[in-house]
Amino acid sequence: MTLLPSTFDIRNYIVYLGFVAIFLFFAITLFDYGFLSTRNLTNIVLQTAPATIMAIGLVYVLSAGEIDLSFGSITAVSALAAAVTMQSYPMPFGVAAGLGVGLAIGAFNGLLVAWLRLPSFLVTLATLGLFAGVARTMTDLRSIPVVDPAFTGFFGSGQLFGVPSLVWWTFFSIAIAHVIYRQTRFGAHILATGDNPRAAQVSGIKVPRIRFLVLTFCGGCAGLAGLLYAGRLQAAKYTLGESDLMTVIAAVIVGGTALNGGKGSVIGALVGSLMMGMLNNGLILMGLSVSDQMIVRGLIILVAVAVSLRDVTR
Amino acid sequence: MMSFKKTIGASAIALALFSLPLWAETVGPGGETATPSNEVTVDAAMLTGKGYTAALLWHDQSDFVNAVTAGATDEFTRLGIEVTITTSAGFDAAKQRSDIETALARSPNIILALPLDPVTSAAAFKPALEEGVSLVFLSNLPADFAHPDDYAAIVTDDLFQMGKQAADALAASINNEGKVGWIFHDATYYVTNQRDNAFKTTIENDYPNIEIVAEAGISDPARAEEIANAMLLRNPDLAGIYVTWAGPAEGVLAALRANGNKTTKIVTLDLSEPIALDMVNGGNVAAIVADEAYELGRAMAAAGARKLLGEETPPFVVAPALTVTADNVAEGWQNSLRIDAPASLTGN
Amino acid sequence: MTEISEPVLSLQDIHKAFGGVVAIETFSLDLHPGEIVALVGDNGAGKSTLIKMISGVHAPTSGDIQLEGNPVTFADASGARAAGVEVVYQDLALADQQPVYMNMFLGRELTKGPLGLLDKKSMIAETRSLVEDLDVRIPSAQAIIRDLSGGQRQGIAIARATHWASKLILLDEPTAALGVAETAKVEELIKTLRARNLAVLIVSHSLDQVFRLSDRICVLRRGQQIGVRRTSETDKNEIIAMITGLQSS
Repeated sequence: MTLLPSTFDIRNYIVYLGFVAIFLFFAITLFDYGFLSTRNLTNIVLQTAPATIMAIGLVYVLSAGEIDLSFGSITAVSALAAAVTMQSYPMPFGVAAGLGVGLAIGAFNGLLVAWLRLPSFLVTLATLGLFAGVARTMTDLRSIPVVDPAFTGFFGSGQLFGVPSLVWWTFFSIAIAHVIYRQTRFGAHILATGDNPRAAQVSGIKVPRIRFLVLTFCGGCAGLAGLLYAGRLQAAKYTLGESDLMTVIAAVIVGGTALNGGKGSVIGALVGSLMMGMLNNGLILMGLSVSDQMIVRGLIILVAVAVSLRDVTR
Repeated sequence: MMSFKKTIGASAIALALFSLPLWAETVGPGGETATPSNEVTVDAAMLTGKGYTAALLWHDQSDFVNAVTAGATDEFTRLGIEVTITTSAGFDAAKQRSDIETALARSPNIILALPLDPVTSAAAFKPALEEGVSLVFLSNLPADFAHPDDYAAIVTDDLFQMGKQAADALAASINNEGKVGWIFHDATYYVTNQRDNAFKTTIENDYPNIEIVAEAGISDPARAEEIANAMLLRNPDLAGIYVTWAGPAEGVLAALRANGNKTTKIVTLDLSEPIALDMVNGGNVAAIVADEAYELGRAMAAAGARKLLGEETPPFVVAPALTVTADNVAEGWQNSLRIDAPASLTGN
Repeated sequence: MTEISEPVLSLQDIHKAFGGVVAIETFSLDLHPGEIVALVGDNGAGKSTLIKMISGVHAPTSGDIQLEGNPVTFADASGARAAGVEVVYQDLALADQQPVYMNMFLGRELTKGPLGLLDKKSMIAETRSLVEDLDVRIPSAQAIIRDLSGGQRQGIAIARATHWASKLILLDEPTAALGVAETAKVEELIKTLRARNLAVLIVSHSLDQVFRLSDRICVLRRGQQIGVRRTSETDKNEIIAMITGLQSS
């Protein structure tokens, strides 16, 4: 026996170590370039807020042993649904439309996966394309402005006690999702389902119901991310969320969530998401060319993911 | 001058611009009259040693963007302005907004950018506006941005000239007479619509002996070959065909080759190696009209620098179009993209 | 009040057919508290069908199942569990990446407070006292299952069943995957169940183990109940003969 507790595993902390290492590196090299300014650091949180919310949904889905590839499309459809609704109706209807569309698409994924027993990888790969197409046809590729100041304040540029609303959204979403994940029976059943579905089943856990709920939840998260994007850009467009797929998956995996279920971390996903945002931010501030930014970011993500997943073949 | 314009508002600015010389018929997104880019210049002596910096916030990566970047960077270097930030949004409006915020952390004095679309970029460029950054836009304008207070200028291709030069080149290749086909982009898209219509207008107004006998719209470049086949079937005696851009032109060329047609001339827009190869080998392609992307970048940099000096630039600046034929392929590539033409074209 | 003679589980004339295929011809057996009964037979003899009927996965085609004298019909495995019947599956049904205490309470987690949050403290404490009582040696109640040995995992699966079973535990091949030392340890654990006044039905391929552990042995062959013997009144030869159908003497 070693002196370390048996539950200690360096891989569970790699995201925090990586985050601190990258932060220190940028803090030193970019000291004169405004990296450490409050505004820049706040920007990183604001820029990653929608991706962080999507990451929460993905943590739940992956922990249950499923995957969702469609959340980016759901984000776009939700943002457009909210924006289009608010052209004719007041804000609450827009919010309901955005969230409702997200939950509905998630539930659609969930129905196919939970009760028709189709693999979630294939179902959500299909709905990714399906709803990317829907987002394009909804408004004929046009961007829809969002002018309601209450909406853009609440979901975008507003502040509460001097703290930007997107920071609040990130904080509360993470806090609630973390407590549900770690401290409720629902969270425990998600992990059990992803870990060993047969054991979960014979222990009385309704496995199909868990699968349905996590995919619905993930759709809801994507819907909320769509609202945040719409608030932040004061507009909705079919491209919103589309390019977040790889970033969010990387953030979640680096954050300590297993690709094949049974293990995960909401806080880790937050730190992973912030790490991705910090990486984008720092590499731009370093003045690298666009191609070099992509290469360096890709290499760092590769290393981080490799370290996080090192044991899958054990 | 500046404060005077501020008080009288936007409508007076529009009036003031009417006094500028009418050089071409390309008009800006807001109906602005075009100013040729070579009129936008700046004196390096007034800027060197100030420690100014610039950020280039592009919409995507391409050889066009590379050439614009090269033009801008060379001009900034000449002016003693350092380019500290370069980003690509990959057509993602949210990423563009983040790129702007990130760039602002290094407090650039000038931002050159291609706003993805007027609606989403309006809020995105607000923070830069509030910081008093000198903004120069490529092709697009964020909604409700007013010249000259909010931005220095929009710089874009001279779209009308491109279409007109395509018409002139096609006319020259068929000795100013005969029947021609017009394959246009069948979609509501500012850039292609302006170019296509300029071709048509020029043929109709300037060349009485040339008649457009066939018109076909394409929305999917992959279908260009079928469309060209149908057009040739009904009009076997076409002297020339205009194709809206190089991608579908490759399909039209394939149709001509399949029919053994060596006489019908093609003119199209934007540089492309396969199209240029046919041209240098004496095939159907008579000319390619390209934009001067490098010059676009230079003019953007100059406009941005002028704003720092308090010198107003006209709101809508266009870079000239360039007709490339078999005789000037190497120069064409250099002038447009500032790179060497592909070896297959120059025999190197 | 305890009436030693009243059976915990009483199976009377159980018959099970899947479509036209008869899995169990006729089966009757009583299990008493504090008694270990072994179910033996070749592959395909009907042992797992029987286990599945008692644990509520399948319903018998005809016949009665009684728990403490009351006829029961289970809608599913949860129904059997609620009635006090626990199963230790051959694959143990443990969630490998979760800690011991969460496995102990899998699907039956304790909660507290108005929000229904998990009561981890109580679950850990109960787990700790249970594994101490049963002498299952694990590093801690928070240890991850994956980090434990096969014997420790088996111990936890049995401890879990012990914790929740009020009447009966079904053990399916409890030591099939274990080494000699670990097998001995698990057998010690199974013997302690007797002291807890639980009835135990064990399926095992190891006759040595059956003779070490059980009070009675019930033999199945091709869906037929061949007979039940007191372990102390029989020997291996007789049981082998019953299993194979070949008279050896």
